[in-house]
Amino acid sequence: MSIKTLDGLTLIERAELERELASAYDFDSKDPLFGLSKHDMSGPHMSRRSILRLMAAAGTLTATNMIPMAAGFNDSEAVSGGTLTCGWAGVGQIVTLDPAQINQVVQFQIMSNVLSGLMHINPDLVGEGDLAESWEIDSSGTDYLFTLRSGVTFHNGDKFDADDVLFTYNRSKDSTKSIHSRVLANVNDVEKVNDLQVRFKLDKPQASFLTKTLERSSGRAMTIVCRGALESMGESQYGLTPVGTGPFKIIEHQLGQGVEMDKFADYYDPERPKLDKVIIKPISDAEPLAAAIESGDIQLIGGNPIAAELVDRFVANPDLVVDEVAGPGFQSIWINPWHEHMKVSDFNKPVSELMKEKGFMVRLAFAKAMDRDRYLKQAQFGRGTPAHGTINPAMGFYFDETLAETSNQKFDVTEAQRLMAAAGYPGGEGFPTLKLTTTPSGRREATVVADIFKRNLGVKIQIEAKEWSVNVEEFDTMKWDLRRSGSGGDFDPDDGIVDWMQTESKFNGRNRDKSIYPFGYFSDKEADELIAEQSTEADLEKRRALVRKVDKITSDKVASIFLFHPANILVHHISVNFPKQSRIPGLVDLDRVTIS
Amino acid sequence: MTKYSTVLGTEGERSPASQKASFFAVVKKDKKAMFGLITLSIFTFFAIFAPWIAPHDPTAMDFEMMIAPSLEFPLGTDDLGRDLLSRIIHGTQISLLVGVSTVAIALFFGVAMGVAAGYFGGWVDMIIMRYIDLQWAFPNFIIAVYLVAVFGAGLLNVIVAISLAFLDDFARIARSMVLTIKEEQYISAARVSGASDFRIMWRHILPNAVAPIIVQATVSVSYAILGEASLSFLGLGVESDTPTWGLILADARSFISRAWWIGIFPGVAIMLTVLSINFLGDGLRDHFDVREVKDV
Amino acid sequence: MSRFLVRRIFGALIVMFAVATLVFIMLRLVPGDPIAAMLYDAGDPDAVDEIRTKLGLDRPMYVQYGKWLWNAVQGDFGRSIYGSRVEVSRLLMEALPRTLSLASLSFIIAMVIAVPAGLIAATRRNSRADYAVTFVAFLGLSMPDFWLAILLIIAFAANLHWLPAIGYVPLAKGFWPWLSHLILPALAVGTAFSAIVARMIRSSMLEVLNTEYMRVARSKGLSERTLIMTHALPNALIPVVTVIGIAFALLMSGTVVVENVFAIKGLGRLLIQGILNRDYPVVQGTILVVSAIFVFSNLLVDVLYSIIDPRIRLQS
Repeated sequence: MSIKTLDGLTLIERAELERELASAYDFDSKDPLFGLSKHDMSGPHMSRRSILRLMAAAGTLTATNMIPMAAGFNDSEAVSGGTLTCGWAGVGQIVTLDPAQINQVVQFQIMSNVLSGLMHINPDLVGEGDLAESWEIDSSGTDYLFTLRSGVTFHNGDKFDADDVLFTYNRSKDSTKSIHSRVLANVNDVEKVNDLQVRFKLDKPQASFLTKTLERSSGRAMTIVCRGALESMGESQYGLTPVGTGPFKIIEHQLGQGVEMDKFADYYDPERPKLDKVIIKPISDAEPLAAAIESGDIQLIGGNPIAAELVDRFVANPDLVVDEVAGPGFQSIWINPWHEHMKVSDFNKPVSELMKEKGFMVRLAFAKAMDRDRYLKQAQFGRGTPAHGTINPAMGFYFDETLAETSNQKFDVTEAQRLMAAAGYPGGEGFPTLKLTTTPSGRREATVVADIFKRNLGVKIQIEAKEWSVNVEEFDTMKWDLRRSGSGGDFDPDDGIVDWMQTESKFNGRNRDKSIYPFGYFSDKEADELIAEQSTEADLEKRRALVRKVDKITSDKVASIFLFHPANILVHHISVNFPKQSRIPGLVDLDRVTIS
Repeated sequence: MTKYSTVLGTEGERSPASQKASFFAVVKKDKKAMFGLITLSIFTFFAIFAPWIAPHDPTAMDFEMMIAPSLEFPLGTDDLGRDLLSRIIHGTQISLLVGVSTVAIALFFGVAMGVAAGYFGGWVDMIIMRYIDLQWAFPNFIIAVYLVAVFGAGLLNVIVAISLAFLDDFARIARSMVLTIKEEQYISAARVSGASDFRIMWRHILPNAVAPIIVQATVSVSYAILGEASLSFLGLGVESDTPTWGLILADARSFISRAWWIGIFPGVAIMLTVLSINFLGDGLRDHFDVREVKDV
Repeated sequence: MSRFLVRRIFGALIVMFAVATLVFIMLRLVPGDPIAAMLYDAGDPDAVDEIRTKLGLDRPMYVQYGKWLWNAVQGDFGRSIYGSRVEVSRLLMEALPRTLSLASLSFIIAMVIAVPAGLIAATRRNSRADYAVTFVAFLGLSMPDFWLAILLIIAFAANLHWLPAIGYVPLAKGFWPWLSHLILPALAVGTAFSAIVARMIRSSMLEVLNTEYMRVARSKGLSERTLIMTHALPNALIPVVTVIGIAFALLMSGTVVVENVFAIKGLGRLLIQGILNRDYPVVQGTILVVSAIFVFSNLLVDVLYSIIDPRIRLQS
């Protein structure tokens, strides 16, 4: 058994870490951010000192943040070659790998190994240059000049240059060709300066520009596609076997059976990739997945989160390594504010005012009745962190640990029962049976949610497991009572709060009848403004303050019942060496992985 | 749940043996059928008196999960700490309900269609037979999968889907029986004496077609139970607070190797029920079917 | 004979047409908007309408139907509406060999088990062997196939490590890799079928053994072994063979559940995933191909049977 959590560090790792930490504190620890300039945030990658300062400022300078670098020292000793067979959990087929069509984590995990972007996040979720060798930001924060890597080629031999950046930009901007056109909404123009330089002009400053818009994996809008290959093979075939400049090239892709990739010998970093071949098989059921890794059919599990019940079983297996880190994302129980018994038709008042409304009392009672520890133990087998807001622990710097204590949603059964009684439903009496919508695979954990509400509030909840397509349609049109869902890949605060918490957010009752429902599940003017403001705030500390303020408002006003932040668990065979440098939560970058 | 049943049921083309033999006479002669009847009676008893027999509330969760079989939980608890025995006892209700009701519905409409087609012939026969041929192109399970996908999951939809899937089996058998019996002299006699079509079908033809239909119905119940379980397994099944065997098993699949009892006992319950029904059906077939050779 | 053949083929085509029409209409009645689901994460409301237009889903139903039917006749079932919009015909062509491999192997395994078992049971009637065969056959018939599949995975893949747990490897990549991936699923599919065939062979053999013809043969002093292998078995297999024709198509439906357990992207898995995703073109294409297999194997059986037994032709 070897779980590598914080306490599971080996002695060598620990010693390395302490040495690193000692030499890192060469700045004033009382004001770690002093002197950190915009210049420090530019560059081929942020300096190690800048990152450490950010972390120190956030009070999150912990061992986790250090491990990635520490482990990097072993890199040169690793053996090259070999074939790695991976199982992709919880998915039956990889329907596309075309960045313009990708809408699932399971897809961009693979794409990130095949295509490159201008930027790529590192394990600390800080952006580093990928095809961008360096960049400069002007003082307005709207003008980015990128210098591209030279001598980069695509898998088919085509040369990569500024024209490919332009081509990708124009393709992604076109909403009929790409589903990510809105990611580029803030980009006013992209111009080619010369073959190896491009300039991006933004409408307004955007804090998440490097880590979201230009990110190769989760961003997808500026993941560089190959013009020549698209023309020669057509969009459909390109979606199955995309050609890029990444460390692996796709040899074969049979829908529903798997993807086969070979090492790309001309990758821009001659040190990578280490493996000769990677095979990825989609496996949707838990039991076959477990059997496959236990029998050695596969050596690594990627894809969707591994079914919680399997993790303990893997931990107990001496042949397997279970590597657990905080995962990006948040999971919630959404409450329909238009439901007769939970109605809040206007959130734009102080919490104390809202507290006088019966509908809000019920919402808050539900939020306070949610025993998150019990939920985590039963539904997630103890894995994950209780959530009280959108911002998750994987974002270290932005995450607010104190929210659990200060939030209005803090677990308190007595108060929850008092609120229900005050709203006219003492002991749940007279309260109608609510429907809790979930997906078929979410039925088990929804049962736990229903049980907790029944136990603590005396209300009856019926679980409706509906296929994703039906489920989404209902959610978008506000035809639901309670719904269990959340967000999976939040690498930047924008992913959570811009996508979910604004009145105009893309998930916020998108297709509702606007004449009946003025807003979707939540609408708060102050939150809207703060979210817009943080998006354009380039000063990280100021941005953090804004993000936390939003998080607190949405939590106190019960935009949703925040449930938990999932843990990100990587399981692989002991023969697989997965370096910390590549351990980016939510991703499975295989370029540094070796097998012995 | 496939067309195997009908394949086996083609004995119906022959004229039936004595219809008057009592049901219990069949069971008495045949140990298998006796076993089937007793087991089924026990399960039926469970289904009716579930709330009084079950030692625990089937939905009550215990904070400790997956407790191995013990005195308090004779079959252990499931992945959410619910008593497995109580869940299986309650699950009998839906499994038997689905099994019996689908076959009852299919039998009623299928036999009505088949008798009408066989008796009237002509365009009535043609229309009904074209429909039956159409359905015949699909195995029952595929039809059920497809219908549930269209109607959506849920108890009622599952029942409707499985009933529809069985319709053609009964219609076919009833029709071929009617075609055989129609030519018998006593039918002509009844017609001459001025009996109405309905009366002839109801009083003279149907009672003589009962045997193969009973055999088919018995086998169909077992396929309906298996079908419900399979649909649940594919995520297209009954959704309800009351546990169903198929659902318990579908939910259990991830836990089988960690807590064997979760995966074994519901499977055994399904198998035992289906086995009993098959034993009973076989006994009935042996009794009715003249084709079976009794001794060498 | 030729008139009979023409009539049956014509009938089969009409059934196929009716199936196609029903499939088209019913899938349009299903709740759930596939485009919305597809674009959910992307969150561009304008793109939804644009893509709907691009896929022709905004046209009147009869226009969509006419266009779809005309293309389907030419073997073009459209494209999957998800991801890279792969041609459905390509998906079907990829899935078909997988399902056929699985169904064939299930069939072989079932026969290898069923024929000897049925023979033994019939020739040693009322012996322990007979009871054992009968009992095991009943068990096989009564076990849910997905349950059996999971038990097989746990026993032979997860614990004994004898065979791979999931997936499919094409025959082109070697015989053993292909076979080893198919043995467990084929057992799961074939068990119920072998139980049926064993019981059929048993009763069919008993009937043949009991005929006058066999009594005569026996009285001539032929050895029991020769008697059974050269005289009884071939006769007993005639009714069995006709059932087997239909049953091969039935095996293909047994693969639906089992393919989903073993992650084999055959027709069954294609169908279930298509249904769950509301991927209209994929479901339509799969249903058509699956029902074509059933309709035409029924046709084949009818024709074969009419050759063996001409009375059938006269009856219909």
